[in-house]
Amino acid sequence: MKNKIIIPILILLSIIIGGYTAISNINSSTQNNEFSIKNGNWKVNPNMDLKDSYQRAYISRIGVFALDDKEALYFLSSKDNDGNPLKSDFDYQIIGTPPKGRYWSYTLYGEDYFLVKNDANIYTINKENLTKDKPILVSSSKKDINWLPSGNETKFHITLRVYNPDESVYKNLESLELPIIKKIEK
Amino acid sequence: MKKIFFYLGIILVMSICSYNLTIHYIPNIVYAVFHYKIEKNQNIKDNEIKHFDIPSDQSRNVVMPNPDFLYSTIFYDLSEKNLNINANMPDSTYWSVSFYKPNTINWFVKNDQEFVTNNLDLTLTFNDSESENVIKSPVKKGFMIIRILVEKKDQKTIESYRTLQKNIIIN
Repeated sequence: MKNKIIIPILILLSIIIGGYTAISNINSSTQNNEFSIKNGNWKVNPNMDLKDSYQRAYISRIGVFALDDKEALYFLSSKDNDGNPLKSDFDYQIIGTPPKGRYWSYTLYGEDYFLVKNDANIYTINKENLTKDKPILVSSSKKDINWLPSGNETKFHITLRVYNPDESVYKNLESLELPIIKKIEK
Repeated sequence: MKKIFFYLGIILVMSICSYNLTIHYIPNIVYAVFHYKIEKNQNIKDNEIKHFDIPSDQSRNVVMPNPDFLYSTIFYDLSEKNLNINANMPDSTYWSVSFYKPNTINWFVKNDQEFVTNNLDLTLTFNDSESENVIKSPVKKGFMIIRILVEKKDQKTIESYRTLQKNIIIN
């Protein structure tokens, strides 16, 4: 009789422990991007076939319905080139050239991985709207050219997307020269 | 004493099972929640197309939306019939058709440069087929996304792409 009560309670407890540990592990992976290749402060998932269940769970938390890596590469950075978290308290300049591809864009996301509210409704700098030979500025205050607003986000992420990347990009994802995100005077 | 080991054994085995099942099914849960939200909030049923505007900070359905894209989506169900997709797509920008399993794996993607013309003419089926325009889905139920890149955000360009997007025919 005692077992009839204890065993279901233990099973329920075990399900909660297992589920909670799994979700905590995936959230921790999400923050550390441990399935990614690291290049400077950018991280990229080189293999989006998602056959590994951990990777699939991780991607579903931060980039569900992403495209296969043969179609697009997603470089994600949450830190400046000194290794400090990106914060809207500071201004940044993105210096350098994106990897070769048919289309590229920088998009700013909040800590929750959604687009950041800003009065100008600007969320991205891309191959088409970039004013060449002018710096790309990430700031919470308005800039005239190449402005990527950081809104009021305590911390944020920048994603560099490259669609139909050149073959050469895949060959050296770890050592490829990528743009840097440099903190500048406000 | 024996009973304590027995109970500990139950906790260990069940926790491991629960851990692995949770990891395995997190994508399916994310997908199911998204499916439920779209069905409920947008009043969209399976095999019906939903056209989304260019994402903004108000777009909260899916994390990390690309604000350079117009998205059209379908939760497809091939249990009873094939899905035919016909459209006249843009001829001077990136667009693509992609399909996903309910565990969020992107099992198919084809972009404008891989199509011969800008006429999108595809049939999605669960049955075997060797026809060029017929795609065999590995699952009866899944998700399709048509992406149209809107690099220039002037009203004229957006409107012309929106018109093309709304003319995508599903039957």
